[in-house]
Amino acid sequence: MTRASRRYLRPEAIARIARLELRAHAVVEGVLAGLHKSPFKGQSVEFLQHREYVRGDDPRRVDWKVWGRQDRLYVKEYEEETNLRLTLLVDASASMDYVPAGGPRTGLGKYDCAATIAASLAWLALSHGDAVGCAIFDDQVRAAVPARTKRSHLTGVVEALEAPRGGRTTAFLPVLRSLAETLPRRGMVIVVSDLLGDRDGIFRGLRSLRQHGHDIALLHVMDDDELDFPFQGPTRFEGLELPEHLACNPRALRAGYLAALEEFLAEVRQRSAAARCDYALVRTGEPVDAALVKFLARRARMAV
Amino acid sequence: MPTFDFMPLLWWGLPLAAAPLLIHLINLLRPKRVHWAAMEFLLASQRTYRTQVRLRQLLLLALRTLAVLGIVLALAQPRWRHALGRLLGGGTTAHLVLLDDSYSMGDLTPDPAARAGAGDRAFDRGRRVVERLAAELAAAPQRHKLSVGLFSQGADALLVSGEPASPRLAQRVRDELATVRISAGAVGPGPALAGAAAPTDAAARVVWLVSDFRARDWQADEETAADLRRLSDAGVEIRLVDCGADAEGGATNLTLERLEPAGGIPASGVVVPMEVAVRNDSNRVVRDVPLQLVEDGQPRPGITIGEIPAGGTAVRRFDVRFGAAGSHAIEARLPPDALPADDARATVVDVVSAVDVLVVDGNPRSGRTGDAFYVATALAPGSGAPTGLRPRIEAPAALATLDLAAFDSIWVLDVERLEAAEIAALEAYTRKGGGVVFFCGPRTAAEFVNQRLYRDGAGLFPVPLAGPVDLPTGAAQDAGPDLVAEDHPVVAVLAGQRNPLLDAVRVERVMAIDRGHREPEAGTRRLLSLRTGAALAVERPFGAGIVATVLSSAAPTWNTWARGNPSWVVVMLELESHLARGRRQPPALEVGDDVAVRLEQGADEIDVDFLVPPDGTVVRQNAAADAGGGLDARLTGVAVPGVYAARWRRLDGVERERLFAVNVAPEEGRLERVGRSRLGAALAGVAYRYEPASALQPDAGGLAGLPLARPLLYALFAVLALEQLVAYAAGYHPVSPRPAAARPAV
Repeated sequence: MTRASRRYLRPEAIARIARLELRAHAVVEGVLAGLHKSPFKGQSVEFLQHREYVRGDDPRRVDWKVWGRQDRLYVKEYEEETNLRLTLLVDASASMDYVPAGGPRTGLGKYDCAATIAASLAWLALSHGDAVGCAIFDDQVRAAVPARTKRSHLTGVVEALEAPRGGRTTAFLPVLRSLAETLPRRGMVIVVSDLLGDRDGIFRGLRSLRQHGHDIALLHVMDDDELDFPFQGPTRFEGLELPEHLACNPRALRAGYLAALEEFLAEVRQRSAAARCDYALVRTGEPVDAALVKFLARRARMAV
Repeated sequence: MPTFDFMPLLWWGLPLAAAPLLIHLINLLRPKRVHWAAMEFLLASQRTYRTQVRLRQLLLLALRTLAVLGIVLALAQPRWRHALGRLLGGGTTAHLVLLDDSYSMGDLTPDPAARAGAGDRAFDRGRRVVERLAAELAAAPQRHKLSVGLFSQGADALLVSGEPASPRLAQRVRDELATVRISAGAVGPGPALAGAAAPTDAAARVVWLVSDFRARDWQADEETAADLRRLSDAGVEIRLVDCGADAEGGATNLTLERLEPAGGIPASGVVVPMEVAVRNDSNRVVRDVPLQLVEDGQPRPGITIGEIPAGGTAVRRFDVRFGAAGSHAIEARLPPDALPADDARATVVDVVSAVDVLVVDGNPRSGRTGDAFYVATALAPGSGAPTGLRPRIEAPAALATLDLAAFDSIWVLDVERLEAAEIAALEAYTRKGGGVVFFCGPRTAAEFVNQRLYRDGAGLFPVPLAGPVDLPTGAAQDAGPDLVAEDHPVVAVLAGQRNPLLDAVRVERVMAIDRGHREPEAGTRRLLSLRTGAALAVERPFGAGIVATVLSSAAPTWNTWARGNPSWVVVMLELESHLARGRRQPPALEVGDDVAVRLEQGADEIDVDFLVPPDGTVVRQNAAADAGGGLDARLTGVAVPGVYAARWRRLDGVERERLFAVNVAPEEGRLERVGRSRLGAALAGVAYRYEPASALQPDAGGLAGLPLARPLLYALFAVLALEQLVAYAAGYHPVSPRPAAARPAV
């Protein structure tokens, strides 16, 4: 594992996720089922075993030959085989560079958190033989890795996440539209971003991807500071993307800030639902593995 | 206006009130810098809450400034005062404590509310009040200055004068008060209060009057009320502490109100009637009061007063006869009661071997038929009936040549005329307290009397004369006696029922009074009248003395009175005593007065030894010339009642002694207490606080003004709570995360 891989593929996160696979059937199944909730219905199947028919089984899966020989109803079970194509879109704009004063509380800044999530998902997908691609973007795609299924492909994904960033503003719409045009096959697209930018552009871009048949998940990464606004004392806030600054007593503005933030989050949730995008808010203060488990578990429930 | 016990702390602490503002400004100049992603939400908040934020910041700033200010003020111990300008005086409170040491404070009536029992005087309770006050002021955290004085000493002779209160001063006050004795005086608070109004540099002043608050001192004492009103108006807090006690059924005290000669002639071997008056200052009858009498230090038979009505006075007479010339002391003593100081009284009678009386006759050679003979015979009947009088018959010219002051009285009998110098000498003698009587007669010229002696009322003669008239005789039997005794002490012995001796007097001729004379307006008083209603004898005060006239002759020329009628002798002796009253009256000295003896320049040595009662301590004084050229030796402001003796030596070596009786003022013995309601009426317009000594709460802190520290602290807590509330509302308070739920075992 390269240095970059070690940075984003945190052993404890992977170990916990892997452990979950091994030890918790529900989680493992959920993770996989969640990942494989795709437009494909599994054409290439391999027979696994017979099982006695129970009420509710699809009658089309009854093995009539067995019934003819033994006069008993058995259904055929097949080993499921996936051919998922996962594309990870990671926001690398300037707003993702926010790091709390004194360093991030969990050791991760926003971008690091997003990259960790992306790397973890890539590792999961590759470990199950799925194809994983990756695109790092701000106002345009800064680095792109085509989808591959080889396990060694993880290194390429991580190196793309490690690529230098330009500190630019975000332009979701052109990036998402170009990706919608360039992604060769329908698959699953996971966007990891703080969604700070042109919100109309974001959802128009997501709708464009959706129209191309992609299954879309939105992992909204926000720093704890952004969600709690814990600042005290006179502070000068300088915009990371906006060219504005504000000197104020943050305690006095906190209520208004949180109200505006809540309004923003509500809008994002509502528009995600409207665009049939799976949405999850990830706090940087939250352990990445916990966030992933939560996200994947929810997808698994949706897939059932 | 507020004042502060710790003013320097205030001056040093006040600038701290600017600290919140300074901190705010410094913070504004040195803000933290944060590179922030979610600017749009922050800007939205700022747009919405800009005004509210500014107001909240201002409110917080104001609250924090107030909080700092409140802490500084509270530490400086503020007090509220009611008068302007006290702030300039700093935080010191000046206390002037005036302790009543008049003799009524010796009242032994126990105070039921006091801890001490019998034998505790009002003065003892007052002394403890002062000691306690000094101790509490010493223990108080505020600055106090203490002055302690006595009613009798005034504000100029304080025991402690404006010294900072301290435990050492409290001890000194105790020591000083331990040496103080109740004075025998009756001085009220007036003299001491007069000096209490002097301005001081103190922020506040408190005047304490520790007294027994007798009605006589307070009920109608306009001067004291005016003094207190002036102090009150000047912003002085007045505290009246009552250390008196109300006995059940009222105060019980007998007072020897008066002891003096009641007429008579103070000559050796002559009976002198004495009169003593005992007042009962209680509301119940007192019976069988033994009165002990002492003559020249030797006991003599006493008197038992059978009954003295409640609030009344019993007067008794007793006779004394002094064997030798000189000063003689008579003392009277009552059994001890609640107030011992007024249970003794003394008087001094200056007895001479004989009293000279000047008889001026217009015809001194008339012999046994003249006026002078009958008058002199009446005044000095002979050795069988000693009167102590020694008449000296002289011609009118002697008035200008003799020292008239040597005569007890002067009798001017039917004088045709007097020279101006003689008139002037007579007038001067009378103005100084002498007594003169004019008898009329055939030589008396009405015109001369009116012009030279009466002078339209300005002269010596009491009435203007119209001329001699004959008394009508026709209806004498029906009209009653010619002489009628009026209500006058000279003829009191003859007044009342008809006196056969007086009835026997026949008056044929009198000198009529001018019809224009109106007696009441002229201040004249009748001694005797005629059956016609006209006056026969009248008197009028003149200067300090008295002048009388009998409008008929002394000799039986115009009447028959002097011809073998005993009433003539009696009335003439009474008239002589009456005329000489002003000269014989012993000086009524009270405690606080000067005892002075007048010496004869060139005849007496100037060293005088005064023997001070009760133990005869000798105080030597040198005589000094007074403004009038006389020579006086003086013992000033005597404090002890009793009989004083002045002894000196004449240049020829002869020892001289004169006694003086100094008594307490009997009015001080009235123990009736003024009470709250009457005190309130007497001190209308005066802001004062009255409290019994037993319930006294000196409240040394409160004396310096209403303490504001506590309400200020409450206000400070409120401000701090409000500040916390506003700051909490404006702040961020992360919720501590709940303990993580145990993960399910897989």
